[in-house]
Amino acid sequence: MRRLTRYGVIIAAGLLAAGCSAGSSSSSGSGSSGAKTSTSSVLTISNENGALWTCGFNPLNASDTLLSVGFMYEPLVYMNPLQDGKTTPMLASSWAWGAGNKSLTFTIRSGVKFSDGTPMTAADVAYTFNLEKKYPALDLTGVWSVLSSVTATSPTTVVMDFSTVAVPYFYYIADQTPIVPEHIWSKIANPTTDPISDPVGTGPYLMRKCSPANITYTANPHYWQPGEPKIAKIQYPAYTSNNTANDDLANGNAQWGAQYIPGIQAFYTSKSPNFHYWFPPTVNVSLIPNLTNPLLSNANVRKAISYAIDRSQVSSVGESGYEPPANQTGIVTPTFSSTVDTSALSGWGNGYDPAKAKALLASAGYHMGSSGIMTNASGQKLAFTVINIGDYSDWVASMQVIQQDLKAIGIQITPDNLSNTDFDADLYYGKYQLAYYDQQTFGPSAYYELNNWLNSANTAPVGKVAASNYERYNSATTTALLNQYATTTSATTQQSIMNQIQQVMLNTVPVIPVVEAVDWYQYDTGAFTGWPTSSDPYAQPSAYEYPDNEQVLLHLAPK
Amino acid sequence: MAMPVSGVPAETPALQLPAGHVFARVGRAIRSNHKATVGVVLLAIFILIALFPGVIAHESPTQDAYAPQLGISTAHLLGTNHYGQDLYSQLVWGTRNVMIIAIVVGLATTALAVLIGVAAAYLGGLADSSLSVLTDVLLVIPLFPLLIVIAAYAQGGTTLVLITAITLTSWSYTARQLRAQALTLRNRDFLEAARVRGERRLYIIVVEVIPTMTSLIVASFLTNALYAVLFASSLQFIGLGDPNTVSWGTTLYWAQNNAALQTGEPLWAIAPGACIAVLGAAFALLNYAFDEIGNPALRPVRKIRHKKGAEPRV
Amino acid sequence: MRYALRRLGFFVLTLWAALTLNFLLPRLMPGNPALVMMSKFHGELSPKALNALEILFGVNTHESLLGQYFGYLHQILTGNLGTSLDEYPASVTSVIGSAIWWTLGLIGVTTVLAFILGTGLGIVSAWRRGGKLDSIVPPVFVITSAIPYFWVAMVLVLIFGITLKWFPSQGGYYVTTDTPGLNFTFFQDVLNHAFLPAISLLITTIGTWILTMRNTMITTLAEDYVRMARAKGLPNRRIMFDYAARNAILPNLTGFAMSLGFVVSGAILIEYVFNYPGVGFMLLQAVSGEDYPLMQGLFLLITVAVLFAILVADLLTALLDPRTRAAG
Repeated sequence: MRRLTRYGVIIAAGLLAAGCSAGSSSSSGSGSSGAKTSTSSVLTISNENGALWTCGFNPLNASDTLLSVGFMYEPLVYMNPLQDGKTTPMLASSWAWGAGNKSLTFTIRSGVKFSDGTPMTAADVAYTFNLEKKYPALDLTGVWSVLSSVTATSPTTVVMDFSTVAVPYFYYIADQTPIVPEHIWSKIANPTTDPISDPVGTGPYLMRKCSPANITYTANPHYWQPGEPKIAKIQYPAYTSNNTANDDLANGNAQWGAQYIPGIQAFYTSKSPNFHYWFPPTVNVSLIPNLTNPLLSNANVRKAISYAIDRSQVSSVGESGYEPPANQTGIVTPTFSSTVDTSALSGWGNGYDPAKAKALLASAGYHMGSSGIMTNASGQKLAFTVINIGDYSDWVASMQVIQQDLKAIGIQITPDNLSNTDFDADLYYGKYQLAYYDQQTFGPSAYYELNNWLNSANTAPVGKVAASNYERYNSATTTALLNQYATTTSATTQQSIMNQIQQVMLNTVPVIPVVEAVDWYQYDTGAFTGWPTSSDPYAQPSAYEYPDNEQVLLHLAPK
Repeated sequence: MAMPVSGVPAETPALQLPAGHVFARVGRAIRSNHKATVGVVLLAIFILIALFPGVIAHESPTQDAYAPQLGISTAHLLGTNHYGQDLYSQLVWGTRNVMIIAIVVGLATTALAVLIGVAAAYLGGLADSSLSVLTDVLLVIPLFPLLIVIAAYAQGGTTLVLITAITLTSWSYTARQLRAQALTLRNRDFLEAARVRGERRLYIIVVEVIPTMTSLIVASFLTNALYAVLFASSLQFIGLGDPNTVSWGTTLYWAQNNAALQTGEPLWAIAPGACIAVLGAAFALLNYAFDEIGNPALRPVRKIRHKKGAEPRV
Repeated sequence: MRYALRRLGFFVLTLWAALTLNFLLPRLMPGNPALVMMSKFHGELSPKALNALEILFGVNTHESLLGQYFGYLHQILTGNLGTSLDEYPASVTSVIGSAIWWTLGLIGVTTVLAFILGTGLGIVSAWRRGGKLDSIVPPVFVITSAIPYFWVAMVLVLIFGITLKWFPSQGGYYVTTDTPGLNFTFFQDVLNHAFLPAISLLITTIGTWILTMRNTMITTLAEDYVRMARAKGLPNRRIMFDYAARNAILPNLTGFAMSLGFVVSGAILIEYVFNYPGVGFMLLQAVSGEDYPLMQGLFLLITVAVLFAILVADLLTALLDPRTRAAG
């Protein structure tokens, strides 16, 4: 007995000692003085990706773009979606549209070198685009659906010819295509699968070290912008869970966050006066009616649904106030406020009006049934299932609010929370009644999102895959308007078309925007200056937005 | 999860009580054994709450009706959570889902275990060998990872999916115990008498054998109910349940998703877990008490106030 | 010898059953992995790229189910567990390799400690029947063995991680500052991060050892040879350890292996709460990321590990205890 107690005590004491000594040495370090882990010129990014790094840096591979574009690879032109597409020339110093907007000519900047010292020329630009043509798997933005040829006519000129006039594709061509070095890539056997573990590009950073848990970037000493970049080293850890990533922001171990943080005041901003956040809105998260459904094909029913939803409550309860309420024109504000047709919107009235919703249902022939659900003369009830992504807990919570709001006017919806794969399958093939989703692509004006929603080229009958027009909205006039937009560079024509599109949104309600999705962004002003803010929105501020991330890195400087 | 606690190695069964005297003796045993009393009382409270939640909690558990993150008050006994829902009423109304799972899975699993265990013992030969192998195989495969994989492929489970999955995978431990028990009874005199009388095998199994195994069956029910609660809550906690049902596990899921501990709402996470712990303790105490009732050697020794000189010995 | 062969045969059988289960389960749920990747990229990935990704993933197969089964068995038995979807193009084996040491460390050390401390306390409490220890120990540990693992973890996180800030409550080590390797800072950091998870696992698993040991000891103490030893006048400590405990501990060993399944389950939940980078946490990540190849690989690994431990424990018991060999 005594022997046992003695051993037990020794073991316990040993454990305690090891724990305490380890604990005390770190508690001094893990305190709120974040700078312990960084000399003042090491930036640590907190962007939870849910997986470890594979140490591949192929900028034309969707899984690696996040880590390579903006750091090592650059586009021709930077367009800022938060300032209506304001352009900043990058690898192209200027450009011009040809007659009828059927061709586009870029003048390539001279004096730019790749990180291995080789000069970057128009040949590399042409090579990049033609590589995408040769390997369609690399054409992530689908530019070759509108291009017919890309040629380098001189070391500083690239001419692109279009098979279809598509002015909005300038964004995908100039801003979303990273330029790769021909002299290296022409020797790669299979650029689709090559991980490019030793990336060579024109960008401000070099990939110094990569392990599954962390990537270290160091400044490119031969970067073409003098005095840039000002931050010598970047750490990009691989976070597999939201909580860990949030924790690192809260204790100052990371300074640039791209995180969804629940209860952000208590969790983050209260920990230091230098901690800030800003969530600029990008696209609408919308309730999508399947327009082939006989009950939902009635516009008055859809209008009633739109009036019944208390968008401010969805925003404050479901999204903790991070995502502002949307409006029925489908124009995201304040990002694209200049496009909003204010008189049309005020004609629509207050977005939350249950009385008006009930009146609309009555005019559509519905009366309150015995079960509390609106029924029409033939006995059909307004009861639907709505598919949602079960993984997004904020969307699930938002749907609970929407469900309660609709119940108040007699419409019953039952949420069906699916996995990502199942949801995508149901949505793309049109096998749903109502769905809750946002557009996956974003552009420097409101046109991009609305074109995705409303252009008949983007839809397909139920049973076939619809690219982005999931609700199966088909209108020849609307499509003609949207295609006309794509042919012009005149701002007045564009605005007039957008006004008409907004009328379509208000009068026919093909989709019902609820809240506006945002860019997640936290920043620590104690260690660095030059952050994008709501008063200085020089780029989209999230670390996962490319090539906007490069703009942020070029503006940042150690304090 | 709790690990199986065996008073003695699983092969040797505890003492059995003949059917007719069961209820009277069990009742007396429960009253005299403190652990059993506590367990029964707790269980009764939970069952009552599950049956009549509206009596002690008036607010709707799902309505986001109140101001978020209120503290403890008389209006909200446990405060409100991030969405403005009343936490106390969530726990009270969630009891129903938990108790349904516990009782349904407990009964179904025990029924399955009795069927397979006793059948194996009585059919003997090839049937016995194959059933025993099936039981043993399922016994050693780690159940929680298997449930995770099943629930993952089923894209997250409604309560029905959870009940089915747990029932189909967790019967093997109690089946083994029941089979061992049934084997020892096979050659008892009263069964020999029934056989000689010419009774059919099914009659013997159902009418003669099973009633003598009552206390082991009850113990199996308690064990299976306990595991059902722990497995189901854990699956709901990690997000493989239906987040729209009201249950302790799903409340925990929402709390974890909203970093309740880190954002100063600890009750949201701690309270439902405490409920699971208390219910689990109730089952475990009852089970342990049954062990003691069945095996007198395990009963706590009461020190008799003794005369000088003599000391009680085990 | 026959006993050993039988145990080995059983091991092979359960291994086959686990492999077949692993093969059959996903056949019930076909899905397009390219869609999984698509929905992960909320950035500027156009829907037209769906086709591009399908080319990469090659989803279409025309083989019969039986053909697929034998192909699958061949693949697994040659050690190829497939390619991870989340960590494309890394292989499942390499991804698992990064996590396995964390879990081994956590479970291994904690379980051994729980076993030693637990059986020790069990022995003592059985010896002193009716004493103070014995009246507290059973009820307390009956209750702790029924508490959900993740709740203990959460309480510890709340008290020691958040309120008192004595220990970190997330992760395995500070990724940005430490270089993994044989250096003191790394080692200290690992211990620091492992402390709370280990204590959680210890608290929840120790109860069973104590109670099981106590119960077997009580039965053993009633045996004749113990009474004989006492009659001979041997010192108490000698009887307790050399006579009773030695015989009581062996049935415990088999129980040790069987409950390994539960220890693994507990470790999964504890790793989840602490975001500890072990295989349990990785399994849950694979589930939420719908990385089916990785999920299957991890399930296999966990099952095989448990089966192997049980086999070893069984063989060890046979080696040490002639009674099992005779019964076998």
